Amino acid sequence: MTHWTRIWLDEPVCACEVGARKGAVTLTMMTPGARQDKGDRLRSSADGVHGSSRRGWSLIATTAREEWVGIALGMLAGLLYTAGRVAVPLLIQLGLDRGVQEGGPLLPWSLAIVGAGLFSATFLGFRRYLAFRNARIIEARLRDRIFAHVQRLHFSFHDANATGELMSRGNTDLQHFQNFVTLVPLTFGNFLIVVTVTIIMLILQPLLALLALASLPLVNVLGRKFAQELNPAIMRVQQESAELATVVEESVSGVRVVKGFGSEPVQAEKLANEADDVHDAALASSAIRARYLPGMELLPSIGLITVLGYGGHLVLDGEMTVGELVSFNIYVIMLIQPLRMLGMIVANGQRASAAGVRIAEVLETAPAITDPATPTPLPRTGALGRVELRNVDFDYHPGATGAGVLRGLSLTIEPGESVALVGPTGSGKSTIARLLPRFYEADGGSIMIDGVDIQKIQRRELRKAVSIVFEETFLFSSSIRDNIAFADPEADLDAVVGAAALAGADEFIRELPEGYDTEIGERGFSLSGGQRQRIAIARAILADPRVLVLDDATSAVDPTKEHEIRDALGEVMERRTTIVIAHRPATIALADRVVLLVEGCIVASGTHEELLASSSRYREVLAADRDAEDGGAV
Amino acid sequence: MGWSMTHGTTDDARLGVAGTGAVLRRTFGYARAYRRAGVAAVGLLVLWTLTLLGGPLLVRHGIDEGIVKGDSGQLNLAIVMYVVLAFVSYASFRFAILQLAKVGEAFLRDMRTRVFDKLLHQSMAFFDREKAGVLVSRMTSDVDSLQELIQFGLIMFTSAALLLAGTTILLFLLSWKLMLLCLVAMPMVAAASFKFQRDSNEAYLLVRDRIADTLSGLQEGLSGVRVVQAFAREHVESARFSQANHDLYRTHMAAVRIQCWYLPIVEFAGAATTAVALGVGGWMVSEDAMTIGTIVAFILLLSSLFEPVQQLSQLFNMVQSATASLNKLYTLLDEPVLVADRPNAVVADGRSPITIEGVGFSYVGGGPVLSDVDLQIAAGERVAFVGPTGAGKSTLAKLIARFYDPTAGSIRLGDTDLRDISVRALRSEIVVVPQEGYLFSGSVAENIRVARPEASEAEVRDALDRIGVLERFETLPAGLDTEVEERGSRLSAGEKQLVSLARAALADPSVLILDEATSSVDPGTEAIVETAMETLMQGRTVIAIAHRLSTSQRCDRVAVVADGRLAELGTHDDLVAAGGQYASLYAAWVSGLGEHA
Ligand SMILES: Nc1ncnc2c1ncn2[C@@H]1O[C@H](COP(=O)(O)OP(=O)(O)OP(=O)(O)O)[C@@H](O)[C@H]1O
Ligand SMILES: Nc1ncnc2c1ncn2[C@@H]1O[C@H](COP(=O)(O)OP(=O)(O)OP(=O)(O)O)[C@@H](O)[C@H]1O
Ligand SMILES: [Mg+2]
Repeated sequence: MTHWTRIWLDEPVCACEVGARKGAVTLTMMTPGARQDKGDRLRSSADGVHGSSRRGWSLIATTAREEWVGIALGMLAGLLYTAGRVAVPLLIQLGLDRGVQEGGPLLPWSLAIVGAGLFSATFLGFRRYLAFRNARIIEARLRDRIFAHVQRLHFSFHDANATGELMSRGNTDLQHFQNFVTLVPLTFGNFLIVVTVTIIMLILQPLLALLALASLPLVNVLGRKFAQELNPAIMRVQQESAELATVVEESVSGVRVVKGFGSEPVQAEKLANEADDVHDAALASSAIRARYLPGMELLPSIGLITVLGYGGHLVLDGEMTVGELVSFNIYVIMLIQPLRMLGMIVANGQRASAAGVRIAEVLETAPAITDPATPTPLPRTGALGRVELRNVDFDYHPGATGAGVLRGLSLTIEPGESVALVGPTGSGKSTIARLLPRFYEADGGSIMIDGVDIQKIQRRELRKAVSIVFEETFLFSSSIRDNIAFADPEADLDAVVGAAALAGADEFIRELPEGYDTEIGERGFSLSGGQRQRIAIARAILADPRVLVLDDATSAVDPTKEHEIRDALGEVMERRTTIVIAHRPATIALADRVVLLVEGCIVASGTHEELLASSSRYREVLAADRDAEDGGAV
Repeated sequence: MGWSMTHGTTDDARLGVAGTGAVLRRTFGYARAYRRAGVAAVGLLVLWTLTLLGGPLLVRHGIDEGIVKGDSGQLNLAIVMYVVLAFVSYASFRFAILQLAKVGEAFLRDMRTRVFDKLLHQSMAFFDREKAGVLVSRMTSDVDSLQELIQFGLIMFTSAALLLAGTTILLFLLSWKLMLLCLVAMPMVAAASFKFQRDSNEAYLLVRDRIADTLSGLQEGLSGVRVVQAFAREHVESARFSQANHDLYRTHMAAVRIQCWYLPIVEFAGAATTAVALGVGGWMVSEDAMTIGTIVAFILLLSSLFEPVQQLSQLFNMVQSATASLNKLYTLLDEPVLVADRPNAVVADGRSPITIEGVGFSYVGGGPVLSDVDLQIAAGERVAFVGPTGAGKSTLAKLIARFYDPTAGSIRLGDTDLRDISVRALRSEIVVVPQEGYLFSGSVAENIRVARPEASEAEVRDALDRIGVLERFETLPAGLDTEVEERGSRLSAGEKQLVSLARAALADPSVLILDEATSSVDPGTEAIVETAMETLMQGRTVIAIAHRLSTSQRCDRVAVVADGRLAELGTHDDLVAAGGQYASLYAAWVSGLGEHA
């Protein structure tokens, strides 16, 4: 009678847990659709695992081994719980037979039941606690590892793997994994129950036991098939939901585009399609439930009917007691849940190992950009900040068609010099900037900072020496002060204010509701593009690098404001080597020297005026001819 | 940094009784469309629960009438009845699942599309106010928690409640004296359940928050990974994440601990009442006050008394969070749409003059951004908006596209006030190209097609050609089918803006608003684009906002916006000659070009 209630709980172990898990902000967004294969891309997708699942199992084994004491204790608790649990029906039987029917004393049996109940209840608590404790510890540990590892992985890895994809490995996959680990001690207890109950029944009434239990192995089989069919169906629901989430996320973050082009109906239709898909997938999974669950209910009922039917006649014939009849009844019920779980553990194990493969894939991806075995320290004295690129070749996807992004590029920048990189869109300016701190590795040639090949410098040291202000500003959800002091959280307020002032940000920050403590980012105050850029500049200034790269860092700042920043930057530039990527003549003119980049090659170099005078290509890039024509009158 | 910051439980997860009632009433209102199917589902559920209660009664009948009286006919009757019952149970359960899924999923699908439509039609002011992450979570985690309820919570909850009620009634009917005795254990269980329910709800909300923190930490660590590496802060960020992760672990365990004391109490209460039933019931049998079959039925039924109690208290969280989610969704649905079609909204011709008359505007909760702006833009004219940051240029442009409605004055297209034009019609006439070239995941071609989804391949190429950059994109590895990757990271900054500009060319509107649409493109390419667009812009009204004054130079007229007012208006040459604000802006710009110019 009691078995029904647990059916649903088989899936999530505990409804409460699942609620909590799924209740979280679903940030997983998968990018659907076929994608070109690329070296850095993780192979497995949400619906298919690449290669053997052995890697998954070995990850499970190694992580579980770290918690073996807890797991062993959990199993012990499971054993004791089983003992108490199995004893109760026997005691009821004895009470009914010896006490009620034969008129013997009842109190001892009642007390014994109370005792057995207390015993099993106690260890029920322990078993549960230990099972979850182990699983959660393992989960937390793995998530830490994934995060720390991914933080160290190279840029091209992150280019190839969308945030949503990695999120799902660090979250959904980890949940499958954790779920399985929770089940391990529970499964052990279930296994014990099946064995002991079967033995007890066989001892009590061999034939009845065989008849009553005949249908039960089918529960196990059904349980296995159920899980095997349900898991992919649930995965499909999740996949479809993730696709729906992508539509929502893109429409909300790109709402200006959506509104700008009046594409609300298009987005609405996209969403309606996705909602239909989710609907169909969910119905399909319900159909599977409808197919298996009632069947798994029916089979035990057959066992119970057999007990009543055949057992009843045995009692009538005086070959069995009423107490035995009742305890059989209870035992059959007691077996259902464990049998079903044992069936499901196989499929859950498969799911966990698939998740394990996907996690292992991330953890086994070696960082492509590593520290040298014997790093050479950067010189600390003398004129610092010399940058030298020698014959550098680079392509984001080497071997692909096309000529490469940078081709045999050589450039030397003297300490303290400021150079403006100018070139048409897509000529490779940002690419050069990304090569200096070794975000990507050059395919050919070499890059030196102060005479040391960057491959020989420790990454931390290199990246402290070279700071970039990216063209796309990324700020963290945190206070402005924390954002500016990102490179050096210890920095005092004066240093932060100083950096902000140099970046032309101090003034507007002071006008914000909470000044430097104003929270920004997704959950905080929204700043304009120009304001964000200035904070990013301040962040780089505070890092105090010997080489500072500003990648179109003032594109969203208006000319008047830019004027102020420029004056301030002059001061910053004085003390270090600076590379400025810009399109505005006024900013370019600030540099000691201008380098013109076209299709990954340097085609001209000189001061702004020299190039304006000598290079027609330069005038083209700055559209200076036209401006000169139109505005020449002034 | 601050991503693990939402300490304490957040938002309106706790609804009062009245609130819950309102939510339920409204849900029933929505569900009216599926009333038939809904009633059928509930009917099947009730039937199924009844079959579950029937089993022990048949066992009792078999023992009392059959076994004890030695009547094998009665025993066989009980067996046959049991078989029938089992199949009724099978069928009703099966159809209950199917029926409930049908109703529930249809309800959810409608809810999703309804909420999303509502979102899409909200004004920009709404999106300024609401954080993107929160809106996304409405459509994901909130709807998901409903889905979870529908997929299994609801069946469990309803049948647990029915079973609890049914069992209690049955037990009283079997023997009210014995049942009263068994109820001795009830206060303990009730108190424990009450406390559990409260504590675990608290713990559950906390877990939810921590999960959100951990996930957003993960998210931020991933999307900000380039900055983290640029400043060599991997180890610090990992340590910080580890902290949040550990907090999550602790809250998880706190929740588990609550279950770990509660579940044993219920388990023990079950054993204890069984003991009472056996002891007292046995004594009553010996006094001939009860049959042995009744004790058996009693013992068997008792187990269906405590399981549901346990289930219910666990399910309560699920139900509560689903109610809270529903409430949030309804709040969203109730949000008034600020920029909505008026009744009898008309279609307007974009090739008409735009008249801005006495327009004032302030963002919600902010001071005035624009005041008293008067401006007439002739059909087919090209006007540049220039002025310092924050002067209100973009705001004025957004008013013209009716992203917002002015707080004072009016804007007319031809003779029609913008507010009288249907939003859809207006959007097909006026297109805004924003500064940030926001790209969706997908190929270059798909991204351009955002402007006109039914456009053919040839039309997409033509759009690129018309802004003079077709060749540049054709030479990408997979041509126009090249995936732009997350947020377009595969493309350079300028290339992204060009894609976004190509959308405008494809949309082919009558009024084009370019809000710094080429700020990341080099001036050379910009000039190419502008030259190429000459033909495109022929006969169209163009409003260009630019910090590069080379653009304003090429426009018919220049409007200088300063401090929320229209400060100067005239042709480039006139304004330069007049020696006002524009002249000094221009001087600053030209000085940058070098003495050469
Ligand atoms: N992550 C990437 N993966 C593959 N290709 C890339 C990637 N980033 C840039 N590219 C390609 O490399 C070329 C050079 O890009 P880069 O960003 O260096 O240009 P840029 O000179 O900075 O242009 P802009 O002025 O538009 O910023 C472009 O053709 C671009 O499409
Ligand atoms: N969504 C918004 N909510 C509240 N205030 C806003 C919003 N957008 C802009 N503002 C404020 O309105 C004023 C005008 O902003 P607007 O974007 O129109 O200026 P702009 O002239 O276009 O500047 P920029 O050259 O930087 O683009 C600014 O003070 C800005 O802070
Ligand atoms: Mg760039």
